[in-house]
Amino acid sequence: MAFKMFWVQVSDLTLASIKSRYRRTFAGFIWVILNPLLMFGVQSLVFKKFLKLQIPEYYLYLLGGLLPWIFISQTIQMGTPVFISQAHLLKSFKINPLVLIASQVLDNFINFLASFAIILLPFFLFSDREALNLIYMPLVLIPLLVATMGFTISLSLLNVFYRDINFIMGFVFSLLFFITPIFYPRGFVPSDWQWMVDWNPFTYLIEPFRTLLWDPTMGNFWIKYLNSLGIATLSCLFAGYTWHRRRNGFYRKL
Amino acid sequence: MASTENSEVLMSVQNLKVHFEIEHFQHQGIRDVFISAFTHPVEYLFKQPEYLYVIDNVSFDLRRGMRLGILGVNGSGKTTLCRCLAGMMRAQQGKIISSSEIRAIFDTGTGVLHELTGRENAFLLARMFFPEVKDLKPLVNEAIAFSELGHFIDVPFRQYSKGMQSRLLLSLISAKVTDILILDEVFDGADIFFQEKLANRMKAFIEKAGATIFISHSLDQIRKVCNQIAVMDRGKIIFNGDLEEGIKIYIEMEKRAF
Repeated sequence: MAFKMFWVQVSDLTLASIKSRYRRTFAGFIWVILNPLLMFGVQSLVFKKFLKLQIPEYYLYLLGGLLPWIFISQTIQMGTPVFISQAHLLKSFKINPLVLIASQVLDNFINFLASFAIILLPFFLFSDREALNLIYMPLVLIPLLVATMGFTISLSLLNVFYRDINFIMGFVFSLLFFITPIFYPRGFVPSDWQWMVDWNPFTYLIEPFRTLLWDPTMGNFWIKYLNSLGIATLSCLFAGYTWHRRRNGFYRKL
Repeated sequence: MASTENSEVLMSVQNLKVHFEIEHFQHQGIRDVFISAFTHPVEYLFKQPEYLYVIDNVSFDLRRGMRLGILGVNGSGKTTLCRCLAGMMRAQQGKIISSSEIRAIFDTGTGVLHELTGRENAFLLARMFFPEVKDLKPLVNEAIAFSELGHFIDVPFRQYSKGMQSRLLLSLISAKVTDILILDEVFDGADIFFQEKLANRMKAFIEKAGATIFISHSLDQIRKVCNQIAVMDRGKIIFNGDLEEGIKIYIEMEKRAF
């Protein structure tokens, strides 16, 4: 019952904020696709044409890493300042603060699904990859969504206490882009530097998604999937811990 | 007061204590943490936390029919207490026993998404107030009609004056009766309480509620609304009882403070 009420609030708020941002226009919808489309265009040009990375089906490979990455990084960066920008609302009456975060995450997730369907799916269907693999897609999206939610909750809470986290995030994500195997495979990283990708949680969130779409052998798919479930669990535990610890100071600091 | 003495207890607050950690270094951000950990590493790591008690051993029963006014100078813990009762904050010690529905308002100039219209915000606000109601339409439409915002209801919320925002929010919140109502300085600084139509609706709403907790700095409003007074001083309830006696104690306390 409590969850149902939470969900009704989240879905109403999400629909309203989609409406407020795009005002139901076609141009507004194009705008959503434009960002990932341009990033994909420039990166495929640089990495395939200029740097000549030797990876088969590189467009598919790149999209398989880039789209989840855009979802993760944009959601976290847009979600981190939410409590501060909605401080007045949160202090005015009892509203579960997590409703605001969940709605922000869901909003971005819908954008992610749209760019998946419009940009990635054509590449996938015109490749010789097994189309039937798509039935595992919902399974793969769960840990991606849950882990992103967990990270966003923790960081938005901490941002109430340390206001510069929001600014630091922009910098951190511009670094993380290069040390996460997004446009290159994990195998390209020399063994001395493997720890860098091994300790990066986003590696594990992206891998099952890309393996499903790109890797014809589906190598180690289930192990990668279990890893991503592990990251999702850890991020939720951390979010729960932060929420529990910071709950009282939250309204005082807001 | 005599009339509520033996009525049903809607909420029982027992030995409530809330404290906050006092920060030795005023950390506004990660940068400050970095700097203080770097310049005073020993103090940073080993200094024991000190606590500021904001609510210090507060106990009272809220009975059906009670309209309890809380008086106290700024910083005496009134709002923190109300946030605990509303379930927004958790007390470190003590208990709040209640199975009643609680609605609490701390500010009335609030919208959810300011770029949307007043009507769209009304639906969102109603969704946040009444998540259990399936069809919000009749409830919201009644509130909108009552608010008499006319064509302004379809204007973006951010263009509303403070008074219009309050009118919409108060019309909404009073559209459905609740067991326990907490109003924290809701009418201060706004003239709307004295607009007869809304004042009457709020009065009826407060009377229909099982019990009300009312915070205001205006003794006039306290007299109009409440039938019992609690006076708070530095996190403690120092008086709980008769209306005029409570007001007298508060006025004397205020005199001493200045």
